[in-house]
Amino acid sequence: MTYIDKPSISNVIKFDELNVAKVDQLKVMLNTGTDIYQGACKKRGSTLKDEYRKVAGVAYMDPKDMAKLGVGNWDSVLVKSDWGAVVVYSAHSRDAPHEGMIFIPKGPWANVIVSNETYCCSDPTYKGIEATVEKSDKEVLLMADLMKEVYQKYTKKVKEVD
Amino acid sequence: MEYILKNGIVYDPINEVNGEKKDVMFKDGKIVDNVSDSAKVLDVTDKLVMPAGVDVHCHLAGPKLCLGRLYRPEDERRGVKPKTDITRAETGFSIPSCPATGYRYSRMGYGTVVEAAVPPLEAKHTHEEIIAIPNIDIPTLPLFGNNWFVLQFVKEGNIEDLAAFVSAWLKITKGYGVKLVNPCGSEAWGWGMNVHGIDDPAPYWDVTAREVIRGLAEANEMLGLPHSIHVHPNDLGHPGNFPTTLNTIDCMKDIKKNSEYRNQTIHLTHAQFHCYDGTSWRDVTSGVEPVADYINKHDHVTMDMGQVTLDETTTMTADGPMEYDLYELTGLKWANKDIELETASGLVPFIYSGRNPVHSLQWAIGLELALTIKDTWKVALTTDSPNAGPFIRYPRVISWLMSNQRRMEMMDNKEVHSWAARKSSLATLDRDYDFYDIATITRAGPSKIYGFEDRGHLGVGALADIAVYDLEPNNFDPSINAAAVEQAFGNALYTIKDGEVLVKDGEIVKVVSSRHVWSNVQGFEDEEKRVIEQIMPMFNKYYTVKFENYKVHDHYAEPSCEYKINASK
Amino acid sequence: MGYEEPVTDYDKIVENCTCAFCGSNCDDLDCLVKDNHVVAVRHACRLGASKIMEDEDQRLKVPMMRNENGELVEVEWETALDAAAELIANSVRPLFYGWSETSIEAMKPGLELTELVGAVIDNQATICHGPTVQAVQNVGYPLMTLGEVKNRADMVVYTGSNPMNAHPRHLSRYTTFPKGWFRKRGRYDRTLVTWDPKYSDTAKLSDIWIPFEENGDYEFVNAIRAVLKGKKLKKDVIAGIPTEDIYELTEKMKNTQFGALFFGLGLTHTLSKQRNIDIAIQLVQDLNKYTKWVLLPMRGHFNVNGFNIFMSYEMGFPYGVDFCRGYPRYMIGETTTIDLLNRKEADVFLVIAADPGAHFPSGANMHLVDIPVIQIDIHWGPTTELADIVLPGTFIGVETAGTSYRMDSVPLNMKKAIDPPETCREDEWIVTELLNRVKKIKEASK
Repeated sequence: MTYIDKPSISNVIKFDELNVAKVDQLKVMLNTGTDIYQGACKKRGSTLKDEYRKVAGVAYMDPKDMAKLGVGNWDSVLVKSDWGAVVVYSAHSRDAPHEGMIFIPKGPWANVIVSNETYCCSDPTYKGIEATVEKSDKEVLLMADLMKEVYQKYTKKVKEVD
Repeated sequence: MEYILKNGIVYDPINEVNGEKKDVMFKDGKIVDNVSDSAKVLDVTDKLVMPAGVDVHCHLAGPKLCLGRLYRPEDERRGVKPKTDITRAETGFSIPSCPATGYRYSRMGYGTVVEAAVPPLEAKHTHEEIIAIPNIDIPTLPLFGNNWFVLQFVKEGNIEDLAAFVSAWLKITKGYGVKLVNPCGSEAWGWGMNVHGIDDPAPYWDVTAREVIRGLAEANEMLGLPHSIHVHPNDLGHPGNFPTTLNTIDCMKDIKKNSEYRNQTIHLTHAQFHCYDGTSWRDVTSGVEPVADYINKHDHVTMDMGQVTLDETTTMTADGPMEYDLYELTGLKWANKDIELETASGLVPFIYSGRNPVHSLQWAIGLELALTIKDTWKVALTTDSPNAGPFIRYPRVISWLMSNQRRMEMMDNKEVHSWAARKSSLATLDRDYDFYDIATITRAGPSKIYGFEDRGHLGVGALADIAVYDLEPNNFDPSINAAAVEQAFGNALYTIKDGEVLVKDGEIVKVVSSRHVWSNVQGFEDEEKRVIEQIMPMFNKYYTVKFENYKVHDHYAEPSCEYKINASK
Repeated sequence: MGYEEPVTDYDKIVENCTCAFCGSNCDDLDCLVKDNHVVAVRHACRLGASKIMEDEDQRLKVPMMRNENGELVEVEWETALDAAAELIANSVRPLFYGWSETSIEAMKPGLELTELVGAVIDNQATICHGPTVQAVQNVGYPLMTLGEVKNRADMVVYTGSNPMNAHPRHLSRYTTFPKGWFRKRGRYDRTLVTWDPKYSDTAKLSDIWIPFEENGDYEFVNAIRAVLKGKKLKKDVIAGIPTEDIYELTEKMKNTQFGALFFGLGLTHTLSKQRNIDIAIQLVQDLNKYTKWVLLPMRGHFNVNGFNIFMSYEMGFPYGVDFCRGYPRYMIGETTTIDLLNRKEADVFLVIAADPGAHFPSGANMHLVDIPVIQIDIHWGPTTELADIVLPGTFIGVETAGTSYRMDSVPLNMKKAIDPPETCREDEWIVTELLNRVKKIKEASK
């Protein structure tokens, strides 16, 4: 009932039909925050599942921006900022148009690329971050795999034993 | 456990004990007239002994306080004390943290403190804070003066249903008595407006403060509640407001009292803020004379001072429009909290200063009131804490009341502005309170005003709530030793609560839970049930919580001290 | 998602439960219970329903600790509690974070433990409305309870928040749609305004949408204040909005009877942080010269406000309180969680009812790799991947009763609908156990 495979996304524009200049890398402003799919999945506790990857490991983009990159719904993109890089899905934003801005719901994927700088205000900078987006052929990682790759808290110890 | 408090000089006005050297005995938390040989002796030879203090009006627990703490860390950083083996850490000056509140009252020898304004919707919050405050018993006064159900009943002239509503709501909120704050004015603040005087109706309601005050008073007396209605009149803090104050108390003079213990049918709170003459802050003068004169001539009214202490403090009241006026006047940060269907409220920090003419006049007016009202049983000592100053200044106020010499000194050497002397009669009043008067305005009177038959005195059967101060009344002249008076009343030699020594030599030696004191009216159950059923459609439609989740569940009010009131008499 | 048949197979209905999701704390939920399971829930939004109808596959049911291979394995309660107590008792700079999704009753022993060991205690406000609290401390806080808006408001403004996604019943239960005492026609008697760069789901419902540009919030609000004070705007477009629209909006705001401004993390998370809130609050204060305006931050967790209230009344400070000196100290940017982690200061991290793995920037979380992490929670989440000791709690508001404070500070007693799983323990019990064990260790070492 409240379970979903992935958020319902309308396929607004067919990117191959659009008359836009293709680019390899897009400069964007990154916002993060909550949305209803992420909220429902996270608080239900389904974070190990594919559903969480589909609702939080996703960059909602303006269809025109996606066309420029030549990516469609549920293709992989690599998002990079000064703080890190992460592979997420791309998907048409429900709130478009907002060219030059992408939205990644809060979660382990977004965490990799947001700023932990608080400017002495206790609160990190989760919104308004400069980032780049490019096409990627890598798979978006599931939550547990992502946590292992990013933090290597327990994998390191195993390596030391080897 | 039995104790004998030996050879103290006892002031117990309810039992007409005036400075007698005698022993006070207590057993299992109550005063008794004899104890066995094994009783523990506390030698207090020649020291000042009184019942523990009873505060009639303080803001010490609840949503306003919490908002104040949250938005004024600069106040919390004053008065920081590290934890000890017995006490937790303390913070705060005008709005201390809950533990600090309990310790500080206990150190001053107080045993019972009334929380003077509780919005019923957030009463749970108040009770949660009472759980966190140690060492004092706390009765609470829920706010009724702008409640929509009350306005509705008053409009219909339906006093019986109003009484049933009050009775039910005291049970629901675990409240003790009926509080009115700027009746109709706080409702008008829902639209950013106010009312002026007692005959100015609330917008859209067509009900006036006069009707609300009289209606709630009649309901209060129909139920025979131990306390009278507790009124913060309209026009607080406005120059020229004394006629409103007079109208408020005068409109009550034909209401019949239904209580044997208390004398009044209306308690006028923080009277200092309600006794201004003039038309603006430029030409303001004291309006004490007509108000004091009225109180001297009539017995249906009691008051408390609301004495300004000349400190930086935090004002907080359910009088929302007044706080906005204050914000416009001072420009200091304004907080507001309107409560659906019930009340408004607001907060503004305030810096009282002896250099400021108006503040100095306010300081004078509070003292002038206490010194011109002849019968001390009609006066209670408060600072409307924290509005006119924090409660930890009570000892200082006592020292002012006891010493004309000190008051004159303050006016002469410019500790206060010359307006204090020029615009009030304070400089002409040479009355000095004695220890009996002080015991009356801080213990006996307050307990009578509230109908607490079991406290505020040292008669057999009373709670063993006792304070001993390090002064020897027979070898000490308080009228020339203001600093010593302040020091002694601020640091009790002993504070005894329910027969347990909580403070010794000004330090906390034991911490106990505070009790939630409330009124449980008996004999009105059928009416209550009918009225609740009747108002339920309106409740469900306009509140944003369910009735089941609205009330204060019993576990929020533990340990409780319940006064059963027989309404059928 | 197609049509689903209503659930008819249940033993009983537990009425008036309080939702344990967002700060709206809707207290009108009816839980349909069969065999000690909630099989359906009425009145809840999608978020509330999803939390109450939890994913039992990922429920933490037994205490766990890491084995030598770094895998979490089941251990006895005694073992896990002793190990956790040992870590806490022997730490120099313990940090206790979370608390926003548990009850006030569980915070009480938590604070006692904090005072005992001289720890830092902090909650999610530190990463959400912390700047709001700072702004409030700068300029004030004109608030109301939500029923005031329901009964009186004829203009409702949302900015930097998207309640249709984060607080789905906010509009329908409290602010916009319901019929109020003075607003008998509900939605038709109100103007709904959204200021948001994005055409969000809330903007889509609004009568007026003001799409100021990214990071343009301060400038935009400042312009309204200027107009309100009778100043003339010198640019044609401010923060992406044509000035004539700003004049028109200001006029509308001045001429309402009762306006309410709700703001969210869109204001606190951008670069101007607390300054955004400063100016929003001052705007509301200015508007009160003309008519009635109030505001309210959109608090995220059901008890995030509760923790701030609890700490304020117990210790005088709202969040990020450091007890290492034996008295409470509150220094934003110094005694707050992200800063302590950024500076790699904490040496034990206890996290209760929170998920830093999902919500802290990786740059801050990196320190959790180097120090022991004790987790008290109900589901296996991102933080569990970083946890050394896992203690399974119970679900407040469904399995355990408790007190919470709504976003507008209305206290609610959340009832329980079902019994918790046998192997789990209430948060209050777990924290009290930790407290008692730490006390014992401290006494033994004296």
